[in-house]
Amino acid sequence: MGRSSPASPRRVEYRIASDPANIAPLRRMMEAFAAECGFDADACGEIGLCVNEAVANIIRHAYEGARDRPILLTAEFDPPALRISIRDWGNGVNPDELPEEQYNPAAPGGVGMLCLRLLMDKVVFMPQQPGMLLVMTRNLTERP
Amino acid sequence: MTLEQRANPIKTVRQDGQTLLVAMEGEIDLNNSPVMHTTLSDLVARHRPSRVVLDVSRVPYMDSSAVAVLVEIMRRVGRGNVVLLSPQPRVRGLLEIARLDTIFRIAASEQEIR
Repeated sequence: MGRSSPASPRRVEYRIASDPANIAPLRRMMEAFAAECGFDADACGEIGLCVNEAVANIIRHAYEGARDRPILLTAEFDPPALRISIRDWGNGVNPDELPEEQYNPAAPGGVGMLCLRLLMDKVVFMPQQPGMLLVMTRNLTERP
Repeated sequence: MTLEQRANPIKTVRQDGQTLLVAMEGEIDLNNSPVMHTTLSDLVARHRPSRVVLDVSRVPYMDSSAVAVLVEIMRRVGRGNVVLLSPQPRVRGLLEIARLDTIFRIAASEQEIR
């Protein structure tokens, strides 16, 4: 894990349409932002993967595949915390309130949420009217 | 932000007896995993292989939507009958998170699986 610690908070904001073609460019921009914040290459990749999974979940579930709906991503680095907030205006289904199913690697599904839970230090879904705000936090500290 | 083209990650297909060898290339996410799903499903339906070898050595990145396709193919061909060839570190990392290294065979080279 990288240990450099920039002195001042940094913030970026991206507004995209819910088109899957936007996922990779957004992921790469967030990986670059995480690198600027001092995260090492492995951590940047994990942060990018979580952004990918969160946005893909919004497209597939909150917007049910619609490609023209808004997604707003805000990333803020306040050392040591990188907070990534992703807002959608979709159906508002809260993953935390869905029945908990034990993850089964031999059945499709569940990997995206597994990534968020394993690779982020904190994941919070905050229902909005309408839609959802997901706040993911990853700290610039050594992970076990 | 520039929209990325939806390229099919499946580049070449070769049959060797009952084994189907599929070479894939490029990043795979929700943008192109649906076309990967369609192509692989058609190939498995047409060739009815007893084993599928997916060469992912030229796939630098995949997300959970690609993993879901791999799992579905495994369910059609049978557990233990899908081989992932030479996954790059980021792909291998996701396979480990998803614990797919427990249900797929992962090989370093084609010679290793002969």
